[in-house]
Amino acid sequence: MTPALFVQSTVIGLSIGSIYILMALGLTLMFGMMHIINFAHGAVYMLGAFVIYYVFFQWGAPYFAAFVVAMLLLGAFGYLVERSIYRPIKGGIEPTLVALLALTTLLQAAGYPVFGTLDKHVPPVFSGTRNVLGVMISVERLMIIPIAGVLVVSLYLFINRTRMGAAMRAIEQDKEAAALQGVNVNVVNGLAFAVGFALAAAAGALMAPIFKLDPMMGEQPLLKAFIIIILGGLGSIPGAILGGLILGLIDSIVATALGAEPAFLLSFVFIILLLLFRPTGLFGHAP
Amino acid sequence: MPRSARTAAALIVVVALLTLLPLVAGDYYVYLFALVFINVILAASLRPSLSCGQLNIGHSAFMCIGAYTSALLAKDLGVPFELSLLGGAVLAAAVGLGIGYPSLRLRGVYFAMVTVAFVEAVRLIASIWVPLTRGNAGLSGVPKPSILGMTLATKTSQYYLGLVLMLVVLVILGKLERSRLGLVWKGIGLADNLAQSLGVNIANYKLLAFALGCFFAGVAGAFYAHFIRFLFPPEFGFLLATNILIYNFVGGRGHFAGPIVGAVFLSLLSEPFRGSAYETIFYSIVMLLTILFLPGGLITLPGKLAGLRWWKSAAAESPSPAA
Repeated sequence: MTPALFVQSTVIGLSIGSIYILMALGLTLMFGMMHIINFAHGAVYMLGAFVIYYVFFQWGAPYFAAFVVAMLLLGAFGYLVERSIYRPIKGGIEPTLVALLALTTLLQAAGYPVFGTLDKHVPPVFSGTRNVLGVMISVERLMIIPIAGVLVVSLYLFINRTRMGAAMRAIEQDKEAAALQGVNVNVVNGLAFAVGFALAAAAGALMAPIFKLDPMMGEQPLLKAFIIIILGGLGSIPGAILGGLILGLIDSIVATALGAEPAFLLSFVFIILLLLFRPTGLFGHAP
Repeated sequence: MPRSARTAAALIVVVALLTLLPLVAGDYYVYLFALVFINVILAASLRPSLSCGQLNIGHSAFMCIGAYTSALLAKDLGVPFELSLLGGAVLAAAVGLGIGYPSLRLRGVYFAMVTVAFVEAVRLIASIWVPLTRGNAGLSGVPKPSILGMTLATKTSQYYLGLVLMLVVLVILGKLERSRLGLVWKGIGLADNLAQSLGVNIANYKLLAFALGCFFAGVAGAFYAHFIRFLFPPEFGFLLATNILIYNFVGGRGHFAGPIVGAVFLSLLSEPFRGSAYETIFYSIVMLLTILFLPGGLITLPGKLAGLRWWKSAAAESPSPAA
């Protein structure tokens, strides 16, 4: 691999890593509070991309407006899912996981009749290329990094500086104690669903102009996000960020050297080995 | 009639009906029911793993291993069907042991996620390893199954083979569930800490349940390979794995018959949309409704209805407090 190719795949790895981080943050936030894994996360990513397709491309709204619409719409959907699926199951972890699995297959399968089977493309939002350390990188990919950065910082401030964020941290530590202190656990859980879904929608919205759209497009990012949160330790937000960066870089560099499918196989082998030696991930606590 | 005798009588009737089916029904039903038998084997073979509390979302990977192994042994090496089927099942169980050993130490969600990733990994291997598996072009021309050197050329004879395989697998799994081993599995599923404190080596029991399930998924895969005679990696993805899990949850996890009922019910009812997106839509909706409104699964439905009738008649007979 030439130095130029290495720099290029590193920068692309950072932008892919930013997408993975957005996916993984929502997953890990929901896991920390409710001990569930949102299998529907990949389908939400896909829906985020399709909102961009319709609102930005078909209806001609400005990209950033469509981006906000995608986050709000799917955030509201997340709240609704908490209300109609998570809450009625009353904390049964296995049934919740299977219900979310069913929701994701439902959304993916419904995507075919709803969106049609032809490949859909969103035109580029940012055009041109920039010189980064002597390598030309498309602005489209570069822009993902600051936008995702802003979202991650906003989430950090929300969790650490607001009352709602404090309620989330309280539930994560001890649900009963938080409820006794007057935290409305249902509402805060609903908010965690909303935030998680909105972040996944943002990830999909950022990727929409880069890849073709397809109802199954969320499956790979979902699996990557699983690997990241295992790597970072379930429930750990710093773990999700670091894990996302590591996997994004490994992914992009290995994919450049060997191809995309072997890169994915490698990340899987890597995670099995990691779990053998450190079952709680980099930042996780003992289960 | 006592309950066990009634169950035995019902079973005999069902087996007799299934034996007679090809004589009265057309080729379409023969084909359809053979596929139902495969789904029943898959659903029932997931049960040991589920009953000790392991949410395995990767079962289709082991069907895939069984299918490709048996197909390639028979097609490329000319191994007779009985041995290629066994080879597929043994390799599926061996890979199950290999993957289960590290991952079964993980609990709940960690384990579920590893199994999901494993399905994708196996599917990817099947599509990348083109010289062996023909990749995404699909593996065609898998030999028809044979027994003692006699080729089962007709779909009807293959249907009977599927029926026998299903019955054998169900008898073995049913006996195991009623044995001490089955009780230990259930105990681990109910309270693994307690089981461990009683001196049960839970890791070994979980591994055994997992590997056994993989073995029978391999059997289902091998039969599928020689019945359909064409293998295509995307068929063995995440969606099939989800369906196997859905059979168990929709049928009900409280009873051995649960996954069987789930597999038969869903396979037959989804038949009009088989292969289209609507099949998955149907499965997912039934799954969501079952979890929300019938958490014990279909198997608890007769009891619930009987309870409702009893409650109604009791209400009608007993005088109201106001009277």
